[in-house]
Amino acid sequence: MEFKVIGQRVKRYDGLYHVTGEAKYVDDIYVPGTLTVKALRSPVAKGKVRCLDISAAEKLPGVAAVITNEDVPHPFQDQPILAVNIRFKGEPIAAVAAVDEETALEAISRIKVDIEEEQPVFDPLEAMKPDAPKVRPAGNLYMFGKYPYRKIVFGDIEVGFKEADYIIEENYLHLPQEHAPIEPSACLVVPEADGRLTLYSMSQAPHLILSWLVEVLYTEPTDPRCAKWSGRVRQRGITSLGDIKYISAFCGGAFGGKLSIAPEHITAILALKTGRPVKWRWTREEENLYSTYRGPWNVNIKDGVKKDGRIVARQIRSIYDGGAYTFFNPYVVDKYSFLAPGPYFIPNVYIETYCVYTNKPPAGGMRGFGVTPSSFATEVQMNKIAAELGIDPWELRFINAYRNGDQTPTRRVLDSVYLIETMQALAKKAGVKLPDRLMKMTSAERGK
Amino acid sequence: MGKALFFKAADQNEACTLLARYGEKAKVLAGGTDLMARVNRRLLSPEVVIFIGGIGLNYIREEGDNLVIGATTTHADIVRSALVQEKAPLLAEATGQIGSPAIRNMGTIGGNLVNASPAADAATALLALGAKLKLVSAKGQRQVAVEEFFTGPGKTVLRPDELLQEVIIPSKRPGSKWAWQKLGKRKADIVAVISVAIALQMNKGVCSKVRIVLGAVAPVPLLAKRAGALLEGKKPNKALIEEVAKAAAEEMTPIDDVRATAWYRRKVSEALVKRLLSQILE
Amino acid sequence: MPMLKLKVNGRDYEVEAGPTTTLLEVLRGKLLITGPKIGCNTGDCGACSVLLDGRLVKSCITNALTAHGKEVITVEGLVEPGEFHPLQKAFYEHYASQCGFCTPGMLVAAKALLDENPSPTRDEVKEAISGNLCRCTGYVKIIEAIMAAAQEMRKKKA
Repeated sequence: MEFKVIGQRVKRYDGLYHVTGEAKYVDDIYVPGTLTVKALRSPVAKGKVRCLDISAAEKLPGVAAVITNEDVPHPFQDQPILAVNIRFKGEPIAAVAAVDEETALEAISRIKVDIEEEQPVFDPLEAMKPDAPKVRPAGNLYMFGKYPYRKIVFGDIEVGFKEADYIIEENYLHLPQEHAPIEPSACLVVPEADGRLTLYSMSQAPHLILSWLVEVLYTEPTDPRCAKWSGRVRQRGITSLGDIKYISAFCGGAFGGKLSIAPEHITAILALKTGRPVKWRWTREEENLYSTYRGPWNVNIKDGVKKDGRIVARQIRSIYDGGAYTFFNPYVVDKYSFLAPGPYFIPNVYIETYCVYTNKPPAGGMRGFGVTPSSFATEVQMNKIAAELGIDPWELRFINAYRNGDQTPTRRVLDSVYLIETMQALAKKAGVKLPDRLMKMTSAERGK
Repeated sequence: MGKALFFKAADQNEACTLLARYGEKAKVLAGGTDLMARVNRRLLSPEVVIFIGGIGLNYIREEGDNLVIGATTTHADIVRSALVQEKAPLLAEATGQIGSPAIRNMGTIGGNLVNASPAADAATALLALGAKLKLVSAKGQRQVAVEEFFTGPGKTVLRPDELLQEVIIPSKRPGSKWAWQKLGKRKADIVAVISVAIALQMNKGVCSKVRIVLGAVAPVPLLAKRAGALLEGKKPNKALIEEVAKAAAEEMTPIDDVRATAWYRRKVSEALVKRLLSQILE
Repeated sequence: MPMLKLKVNGRDYEVEAGPTTTLLEVLRGKLLITGPKIGCNTGDCGACSVLLDGRLVKSCITNALTAHGKEVITVEGLVEPGEFHPLQKAFYEHYASQCGFCTPGMLVAAKALLDENPSPTRDEVKEAISGNLCRCTGYVKIIEAIMAAAQEMRKKKA
């Protein structure tokens, strides 16, 4: 069979746009009359906005609108968008749309804000303590059902430890990582004559952004907030996905960091209020400091291992520091937890993963969504076991690799596992000579 | 921004006249790699900008026993210059590690000095070379040794009405030995974690005119005088080199910052001074 | 405001520029030439790279008025419209771009190198693009593409 695409070297059609400079990223899109956005960001990590006076900013010539929490129809999940109760340094409190950057910055400097500072908590280990300052009213631990951690129990961990010949325990620290795409976050919102909004965004998740944005902006025409808006949208409100036309601009790098609605909600509200095209292009500082990032992990792995290299018990207790808001953190914690033991058959597994709130910008997804940090910890642990037992690290993995028919700690019975065959192919390609007994292994069901 | 002024000085006299008139309000612009970066970050909002790119300070020439380089000579021109490579190879080496190609095409030797970063690469090398700086103004001129030029991070003895005209470097003589090492978190576009510049004379196995300079370890590029004095007039051996390296590390007053800790800077300085001295003296 | 006269990609322009306006602001904001990008605005990422009188500069930290009377080449000016410069062809064929945001700057830096040194070594290529950051590709394909373009350009000349 001849394939047109499979097995063929297919050129990236957008490669042509890249090399000619024709690729249009958000900031390359020019709409006459576009206003520039700047945000007033909290200088403190925790506090209450007691007084916010935007009148001087509003009066500045060239300022089209200033918005505060009162202008926001709905929060984005648990994030208020423009904060009154501040949870992290840099959290937006107000935003300005003006004719140019200079004017917008001058307007920001004229906003009078009085913040009653409160005691923040930055260290997740401190945040877990019962007397720690509360990042959110419901406390600093996300509840997974009735537990303040994601819990996975498979077999009996204590039995496993008793059966083991060696107990090997280690702590792993995976530091936070910022995606730092070369293109900072940006979006452009253009109000249309029929009352709809056109949104150009660099987001890597158009469908998520679109539905989340409608949730944030949702207002029936009868809602008095509509009366504050400009143009036909006053009569029709924002009530369905069809009210926003989303156009994906080229994305200048994301890696999981452009999944949240970051500039879109504030920009859209300013567009609704002014009736003019509004663009918000984040600075490099904003992108690096306030966009989502991969939060840090504190991990303890305690393994029970037999002399022959079989891991009979694996206990992984982890603390994920997800920052001030929920966003994707429980999902990250779940993906981490489901896959933390690694691609190995272990009859007794105990996973306990905490999702902790701290007074830092909210974390998000990054390439692997929790699996990457867990791989780091697990695989270094495997090498540690190999070193302590005097077993070759390849062999240790062959011994423990899943076979078909094995059950994972989350009760999935596996039916198309190929780790062993993959390692064999990898060894061949890497020029690593493995002993025959390893090269003869297969993923066939045990005992078959 | 509306009321700010821009002047393109036609010659040195005009530049000095403008500086005399505007003094503190003025910022001198040549390449602009430091100035414009700070303007963009809104750390600076100059009322007056005086562009000196066209006043004829772009030259590299030999004057007797000295190599003389005009203040607006770019780093790229310095690196490429056969004259600099021959007469002041330490400067050529250090300058070649400033920034990246685009930065070197724009940035100038004068800017590197006047900006007065404690980590400035050209400045660190020039201090090791014992260079002198010629400062001019409407009132006259004066020469200042590089070690007297810096007074603190970002601060120099340059008066508001003064212009750095040129850099005077004693040319390399027979028996000159030198070394340079810049340490950073990556290979380009970095501020040094630490840098080491060494220049000395060796005649019949005896060291003289020893200048050991460390960058990014003190409020200004540091001439390690006690360390240099230990080696002065001596024949080097392994033990002496170790002593010199230790002394250099003790003269430092490094800080913790985003690039490294003081602890690390002390440890690695000592190791680098020892390594570089061993390399050039054996 | 002072008037700035400059040539960009072969065309003459006259625009107003302030004492601290950057060349990048003039190119993107006034001339709507969007090839050079804003990645950091502090001269650290190289996405704004252009050629100024044939030399590689970072336009975000180039004072616009100092470019008076000079010639700027951006990625859009690599060739006549409708044609591909061997560098562009090589980047396209070697998959040297992923998100593409660093690509205009990389191409300009590569052109600056090949204009001066038609037979660079891999190390010289790395040095030439050392001021350009890429968060996507890991640089390997970019270096390959530049070496391939250099080879093709040498062949064409021979």
